[in-house]
Amino acid sequence: MSTVTIEEQVWKALAGVLDPEIPAVSVVDMGMIEKVEVRGATARVVVLPTFTGCPAVPVIREDVAAAVSRIEGIEEVEVQFSFNPPWTSDRITDEGRTKLRDFGLAPPTGAGPVLITSIALPVKASCPFCGSTDTHNENPFGPTPCRALYYCNACRNPFEQFKPV
Amino acid sequence: MSDSLISLLTALGDDELILGHRHSEWTGFAPHIEEDVAFSSIAQDEIGHAAGYFGILGTLTGDDPDHIALGRAPEDYRNAVLCERANGEWAYTLARHWLYDTADDLRLEVLESSAHEELAQLATKMRREERYHLIHADAWIKRVAHGPVEGRTRLEGGLSRAFGEAIGLFEPFEREDDAIKEGWLPTASSELRRRFIDRASASLDELGLPTEVRAGVDEAAEFVASSSGDLIASGEEPPGQGTRSTGGGGRRGVHSDDFRQLWDDMTRTYREHPGATW
Repeated sequence: MSTVTIEEQVWKALAGVLDPEIPAVSVVDMGMIEKVEVRGATARVVVLPTFTGCPAVPVIREDVAAAVSRIEGIEEVEVQFSFNPPWTSDRITDEGRTKLRDFGLAPPTGAGPVLITSIALPVKASCPFCGSTDTHNENPFGPTPCRALYYCNACRNPFEQFKPV
Repeated sequence: MSDSLISLLTALGDDELILGHRHSEWTGFAPHIEEDVAFSSIAQDEIGHAAGYFGILGTLTGDDPDHIALGRAPEDYRNAVLCERANGEWAYTLARHWLYDTADDLRLEVLESSAHEELAQLATKMRREERYHLIHADAWIKRVAHGPVEGRTRLEGGLSRAFGEAIGLFEPFEREDDAIKEGWLPTASSELRRRFIDRASASLDELGLPTEVRAGVDEAAEFVASSSGDLIASGEEPPGQGTRSTGGGGRRGVHSDDFRQLWDDMTRTYREHPGATW
């Protein structure tokens, strides 16, 4: 017998909440959901912001609350932002990485948790358009706090890289 | 909770807010489009970090973080004078950026083990982000130090001005002794200052920059209690326009003329349109 628990329904709803700045990936793909708890008719969702100063946080709060409150049996949604543990770029799922690439954003490099002393931009990022690594960094900063700017020497496209952090 | 914790968070948040505001003034004006983007992004990070500190502060005092940021009188800000100085020329901006982010890294490193759990978690997260500021600042300092003589000379000028002022980041804030006793700040400002001077001096040596840019920095200067009970650097004048100082004063609300202009600009909308939302 398989029944879908209410927690599973919450996770499913969260998988439909898109990152407002990168609408190709959900907050689940980004590894931003630390915890889901349902007690009675109250759901509590703990979200880890990707960057402290991310201006998308208030939008994410609203979107998470709206998506979860649509679940039958949920009357109250508590959305809590936390830095414990700090969000790190290795939390992005494999599916999330594929979606980022398809969106034109090079996913962050490195598999395991990034050590503070080794946080750095890769010298050669992998171009999300042609796959070449004949690229160079143009700017450690970009249009949002989480992105850096690169240029692909092979296909001559500028592209963005999600910063390893 | 604790007055010393409030005092610590105010100093930390104000440094980030005020320097973030100065960095944002390069938006549209930086000498290079990539730097326009970089300084805008760094400004956004710093102001976001200020919001993080003010968020914790708000839970202690009951104040709205926006009000903490924009609703205080000029003399209630506790940022170091270094952070409020007008941007001036690019070389000064780079020198300040490098010195500040070097100092901030040392400060965040110790705050990661603050007895205030939420502050410790915030510091851990912020330090990872600040890493990119350091990478950016280091790259620029290196580029200019190894470049043509005019840029190098200007950088030395910027460093000469900013180095002394950077020492003001380590002026003890009000009730610092209590904050150390409680474990909110695990390492005293005087020790952080020593680490900062050591680290920055080692980098200057490595880059072949003259350590004379530190002239005027009295490494042994103590911020002592005056007869009025205020903490002042021994023999120090209030910060004036263009004068060289040890950069003290900010932690007790004594600011330069540059601050007044910044405050006026930064808080104008908040003051003229109370309750406005956007």
